[in-house]
Parts: sequence; C-alpha cells; structure tokens
Amino acid sequence: MSENTTCACTSTKAAVEYLNSVEYKEKNFARKALSINPAKACQPLGALLCALGIEGCLPFVHGSQGCAAYFRNTLNRHFREPIPTVSDSMTEDSAVFGGQNNLIEGLKNAYQVYKPSMMAVFTTCMAEVIGDDLNAFINNARAAESIPKDFPIAFAQTPSFVGSHITGFDNMLKALLQSLADTRHGKWTNGRLYLVPGFDTYPGNLREYKKLVHAMGIPLTVLPDAEEAMDAPHTGEYNMYPKGTTMAELADALNASGFIFTQKFSTSGTYKFVKNVQKINTEMVTMPIGIKNTDNFLMALSEMTGKPIPAELEKERGRAVDSATDAHQYIHGKRFAMFGDPDLLLGLTGFLLEMGGIPVHIVCTNGTEAFRKELQKVLDGSPFGKEATVHTGRDLWHLRSLLMTEPVDMLLGDSHGKFDAKDANIPLVRIGFPIVDRVNMHRSPIVGYEGAINLVTMIANTFMEQTDRTCPDRFFELLR
Amino acid sequence: MFVNLTKLDLKETCPLTDKGAPKLCMKALPGEGAERSCAFDGARVVLMPVTDAAHVVHGPIACAGNSWDNRGAKSSGPQLYRRGLTTDLMEMDVVYGGEKKLIQAIIDVARKHQPKAVFVYATCVSALIGDDLETACKEAQKDVSVPVIPVNAPGFMGDKNIGNRVAGEVLFRQIIGTAEPETVHPFAINFIGEYNIAGDLWGIQPSLEAIGIKLQACISGDARFDDIRTAHRAKLNVLVCSKSLTNLVKQMEQKYGIPYIEGSFYGIHDTSATLRAIAKAFGDAGLIERTEAHILQKEAETRAVIEPLKAQLSGKRAVLFTGGVKTWSMVTTLRELGIDVLAGGTQNSTPDDFLRMKALMDPTAHIIEDTSAAGFLTLIKEKSPDLIVAGGKTKYLAHKTRTPFLDINHGRSLPYAGYAGMITFANAVARTVFSPVWEKMRVAFPPEVTVNE
Repeated sequence: MSENTTCACTSTKAAVEYLNSVEYKEKNFARKALSINPAKACQPLGALLCALGIEGCLPFVHGSQGCAAYFRNTLNRHFREPIPTVSDSMTEDSAVFGGQNNLIEGLKNAYQVYKPSMMAVFTTCMAEVIGDDLNAFINNARAAESIPKDFPIAFAQTPSFVGSHITGFDNMLKALLQSLADTRHGKWTNGRLYLVPGFDTYPGNLREYKKLVHAMGIPLTVLPDAEEAMDAPHTGEYNMYPKGTTMAELADALNASGFIFTQKFSTSGTYKFVKNVQKINTEMVTMPIGIKNTDNFLMALSEMTGKPIPAELEKERGRAVDSATDAHQYIHGKRFAMFGDPDLLLGLTGFLLEMGGIPVHIVCTNGTEAFRKELQKVLDGSPFGKEATVHTGRDLWHLRSLLMTEPVDMLLGDSHGKFDAKDANIPLVRIGFPIVDRVNMHRSPIVGYEGAINLVTMIANTFMEQTDRTCPDRFFELLR
Repeated sequence: MFVNLTKLDLKETCPLTDKGAPKLCMKALPGEGAERSCAFDGARVVLMPVTDAAHVVHGPIACAGNSWDNRGAKSSGPQLYRRGLTTDLMEMDVVYGGEKKLIQAIIDVARKHQPKAVFVYATCVSALIGDDLETACKEAQKDVSVPVIPVNAPGFMGDKNIGNRVAGEVLFRQIIGTAEPETVHPFAINFIGEYNIAGDLWGIQPSLEAIGIKLQACISGDARFDDIRTAHRAKLNVLVCSKSLTNLVKQMEQKYGIPYIEGSFYGIHDTSATLRAIAKAFGDAGLIERTEAHILQKEAETRAVIEPLKAQLSGKRAVLFTGGVKTWSMVTTLRELGIDVLAGGTQNSTPDDFLRMKALMDPTAHIIEDTSAAGFLTLIKEKSPDLIVAGGKTKYLAHKTRTPFLDINHGRSLPYAGYAGMITFANAVARTVFSPVWEKMRVAFPPEVTVNE
C-alpha cells in the first residue's frame, strides 16, 4: 500500500484540483485520527482569561512553562496588551517526582515578586497526567509559609485533552465561586445582578452589557470582568492589576439577587452550580447578537428585575432596525459559512437569519451534540435556515472542503479562517478569537443594538468593497 | 536508524559567572514569569520552516492549536508546512494510549497531502502516557514511502535551546547525507540557523548570487526537504543563528569535513564581514575580488540611503533584549544608525553570544539581569530609553510605558537581513521612534493650567 493509491496526481495543479473535489471531501470527512487546522484552543487558555477578570488576581499556570508562553503569546497578539501570567515551569524531574516543589516555590516567588491580592491556579496536561493533588499541594504551601495562611487561592483542573478553552473558562469560574464566595445568607440578597459574559474576547461587549444594564437602572456586577485587562486605557504607567470584578464582589456573589448568563455553552457548569445548587434566581440567554437576541436579553432582564425597558434603549433599538433596513439589500440572499465557539455561532446565526442572510456551512470544532440541536432549532425557525448544515467536531480543513464543493459568498470567523477564505476566493469578516491580523476588532461590541449595527457595517461594507475592487469598469460607479 | 534523543547529553550549565549571562538550558525559576517557551517549541522553530514536509503534532489540542502557523517563516513555494496537523489527543487516548491514532494520522497525512517527509513531534502528554514515538513512526513507515521522522522533544525537557539541539540531532542523524545532489557547485554553502523570518533569507540571496555563491541548503528557512538531504555536499557551513545549531555544524565538520564559520546578516558591517569571511574561507582570488567589489558598491548604496535617517536617529538610546545572533549583531546594527545601546540582555543565547554582546557594548552600559516583567518595568523607569528592541512579549509592556518599541523576533512582518534589509530596518526604526503617537501620549489632558504672573 502506498500513498499513491488514492491520489495519482503528481503536478501541483492536479493536486489542488483533487483537494477541491467532492471525491476528496468525502475522504476528508472520513478522517478520524487527524485534526487539521483546528479552530479551538485549550482549557488553560480559557482559565487564564477568566482569572484576568478578577481585580488583583495573578493567573498561575501549574505545569510546563512552554504552555504558559503560548497562552501569553496568543492573548498578547489578540488584545495587543501585556498579559500577566506566571508558570511554575515543571520539567522532567517534576514528571518523576510530582509538581509539589515547583508549586510551593512558584507560589512563593510569584507572591513576593508580583504582590497579587489573590492567585488563580490552573493546570496544564502535564500536572494532570501525573496526577498532582492541587488541594494538598496548596495546603502544604501554606504550611510551609510559602504564602500567608489566609492568602486567597482558587484552583481548577484544566487539562488540554478534555474540552476546549470554553471548558477551562467554566471550570475556573466555578472554582472561583466555590473557593472564594461566602456561603449564601438565606433569603437576604445584596440587590445586585451578576452578569456572566462567558468566554468573551470583546471588551467592547462587556462595555455594552454595562451600558444596557445601567440604562435599566439595575445594580450590576460583571463576573468575571476582564474589560480593562483586555483593553487598558493608556496612562503612561503599566498597571498589572487593572479594574475588574473586585474580591468583595466575588465574595458576595452567592448573595446576588440574580444571575444572568449571556452564553449557554461556555459556562454551563457554573450555571448549574448557581441555579441548581445555590438556588439563585438565574436566567440564561442566547448571546445577544442581533436585534432579536438583544430584545430577548433585555426582556429577560426586565422580567427578572421588574424594571421596564427605558425609552433610550427603545431609541437605540430603532437605530439598529434602521441600520438593518438601510443595509438589507447587501446581505439578504447572500450565502455564508462561519466557524467559531458555540455561543458566538448561536448568536450570529440569529443575526444572519433576521437579515435574510443564508447560513450554509457552520463549523464548530468544540461544539457538542446539545449545541447542534439548539442551533438546528434556530435554523428551523427561519426560511433562511433551510440550507444550513451544522458540523460539530470538525476543523478548518473540513471547512475548506465545504467551501470548495459548495461555494458561499462570505466567511465569518477568526483570523485562522484566512487560508480557507483565500483558497475559496471569498472575503473573511473577522469575528471571534483570535484576531491577530487586524486592529481594534475586539474594541467595538458585537452584542446589543450597537453590536448589531457594527455587524451590519462590517458585513455590508465588505461586500461593497469587494464589488468596487473586482467589478468590470462598466459597472464601477459612485453609488452602491 | 532511530535514536533515543532523550538519552543524548544535550544539557550543559552556563560556564559564565557574569551577571545577566544566559541561564543556558537551566531550569527556569518557578513563579518568576512566563517568558520562556519549551523544548517542543524549540524543535518546531528549527524544523517547521521545511516547507514541503508535513509536521504532525502528537499531543492534545494546545500544542498545535496554539502554535500552528504562529511564526513568520516564509516560503517561496510549498505552503504545506503551515498546516496545523495534530492527533488532538483526548481523555480516552490518555487512558488507552495514542499510538494507533498516531500511526493512522501519519498514513492519512502521507496519502492525502503529498509531503516530501512527515515530521512527527512528541509533546508532554504523549511522552508521559508512554507512547513510543519511534516505534509508531517505524510502524507507519511500512505504509508510507516518504521518510517518517520522529522528533522527540517533549516540552518538559526544558527550554527552547534543548529543542533546537534535538532538532539539530534529527537533521544530522536522519536527513543530511541521505541523498546526493546532481551537481556540486565549487562554491556551495549551507546556511545553518536561518529561518527566513519575514523573508530575511531573500534579502541575503541577491548578494550570494552577485558574488557567485551557491546556497546548497538553507537550514531551514524556505527549505525543501530534498535540498537538506544533500547538505553534506556543501563546502562550507555558515552558522547564522549560533545559539541553536552549534552541535549540528560541529558534527558535520567531524563527519563530512565541512568547515564552518559564524556570521550575521544584520546591518551593513556584519553583512559585509560575513560575505568576506565566506569568500576568504574558499580562498579563491576571483571570488574574493567579486566579493570586495560587491561590498564596495552595496555599502556605498546602502549608506547613501540611510544617511538622512541616521542623521535624525543619531544620539538616541535603546534597550536591546533578544536572543541568538541578534544579541550581538544588533548592537553594531543600531550603532550604524547612531543609536547607542544603553542596556542589553538575553535569555536564549549561548555564552559566546552573550560575551560578544558585552564586548561590543559601551563598558558603562547596563546588563539586564532581571528578565521578568517586573525587572523590565524598573529598567524602563530608570533609563527612559528612546527605543526598546525586543520580542513580542515585551511589546505591549513597552507601549504601556510610552516607550517606542521595535519587534526584532519572529512576530515582525518586515525582513531586516542583508543590505536591503538594513534599509528596511532603518526605516522601521525611524517610523517607530518618530511616530507622532508618543507625543500625544505624553501630553496631559485636560491640559494643565499655567498661571501667568
């Protein structure tokens, strides 16, 4: 058996044609052991983003040092911000003897050098494969006076071989609540609404949530609130611990009057903990991307708190509807492919359908069966959703086959999609994480009415730009 | 044929006691920061630029998911090397082992992607769960006609340096010398440790062509697998990034009798010096003459272009923090623009690189010892440099402190090597230092009221 039995092509051109064929697509989709150009990151990266949202918290990676360098690089490049993280640099001897010495020494050094108010410890594969007992190690670190006895630490187990970055985010968030939130006082609440944004890499989104909830007059805590960590204003001084959810707010979290989760799949474990275990008044909505999803988010807030939706938000909605109306002809009937995290895709699909866009290929590397069903329901609810196929557990090489055999007009997804988009000769509008080849995409919201306007702008203008660049001279004109 | 690389003696302690000397292949201090990458990354850095090979990562999603196509090594042809190929090990694989999955993955890649070779990388997880990379590769080799090459440098082996060395061993033991070139050019050389970051190699090639030098193989920037196989027929090795592959040139010298020289193509002085050294190594009068003529012409041309930029930049003070050849070569290159290095440091370099940097710097210049984020902030505060020249992880720290920053490592998108690269570099430095944004940041808002008496 040789590799030439399935592909007799020798020239590059023939090879490319073969890669673009339906025949290859079938072989490609039969692929099991190999992942090509995966569109997911690993658990500890999600845990790190979560930890950045707590004010004064230093993220601490228990495991190999290279992993930590990779997370920092990826987040650095996306946010164009410094990302504070330490690692306890486990090496071969730790693989044999366990990582306890590294953890104890690491906690001590990190505490002395970076003076954090707390640390969030999470693991890489290495510590998990050798079976390190974090709880015991941290207790031993306290006993050894490597850190003060009462120094706050939350820890989560986040091996890369389970789940993806969204799982890691969820595990870290739940650990923060379990270790550092005070026990719930019976019926008394602190009168605050806690909003859990999930794995959201748009500081612009967090600002939009705050603006909307504030407009409704609801006292709010975003948990975790990495807005400033992701987008710190320039002051001339580097502040390693920018504003975020305070430790007092974290401690008081279980006394919240309510919790609202704006993503369904990135924080499902924390949601169950808050709702089922703690029995707090809890709502979960589809990520409010597009007008209808934003409506649902505001209605949920209104129902939870009894507060009406104020006139200024009605006006904002009116502007979003107006913008959608002005631009409908550029999006209606266009065919789209998209990839990314489950919650992002769920929200974006709702947006596209309400604009008359036709989702065709939806690829979610880290999507579960529950996600597929939920997304299918959304698609089934619209005549524009009939052509869509949801592919969970697939990668960007599968997506390439899909684009080549069933072409679409535009791809929506993060920077990694640029290779597929180039091969398919279609534009890529960058939405998601990571975006490392454009600036400022994370700074403007994609949620809320404001976000709907931004999406309309990005998508419609990209089509018009493409027309201007590619149309024959006789069709080149001022008006579009 | 397969060697257990973990048994090779790749580690050494730094013989220097100087303050700020690189802690070569030593354990990083736990909790100090997350600046250093791992052996796996080091191996990828060296081998990934082999453009027509497939690079399969045998590990969980993180190792490939966070690292596919994350460096700017450019290719003039095949794009296969960019593809992020991984076995994406999951919980069940960790329990039951991932060898079968790996064998299947290798066969799949070889069949469908037409690689010239398949490099297979171990990771922390595959090594810890006891997957035998060598055996799996041998097994897959039965079904695959192109070479399947195990690269056994799991991250926990230590720093990037160790991974570089493992990659050097792989090249030496399994690739170089496995094919013969059709003809042998009288002035055939190899570049060792040139990765064509941002297209650096393409800035050097015109000079080689002008003086009549043939590049037999570049290890490994813009490389084709078959060219590397014939590298043993070159007459001279030019070690461009000395930190990573010194072991490789030494072994090639022993086995094939190929002498080596070290050199750099950053800056006018170092580019000319390296070209001269190459010509001298061959000792051919015609070649030396052509080289001198080329140098004379290119130096004059380049100096004429950068002169106005140098006039503007003269007297500026920089902090330099990088690795490998740039550690010392950048001191000279910056000086060619009239910029003094007032503090310098390195993490991923050889003791030789470090000593060369120290010798080139002003004796009063500061040697960076504390390479953590905290150390950097103190340094910036104390020295208030006009420019920081370093790698991506320091970039935004510099920006936050209103310090102009130039990326010199793999995150950059402009080529700086050779005479053409020097012009690009000079322009990039000037654009960075004189950007109007820095002024905007320094002005208080709302404006401070000055009271007229």
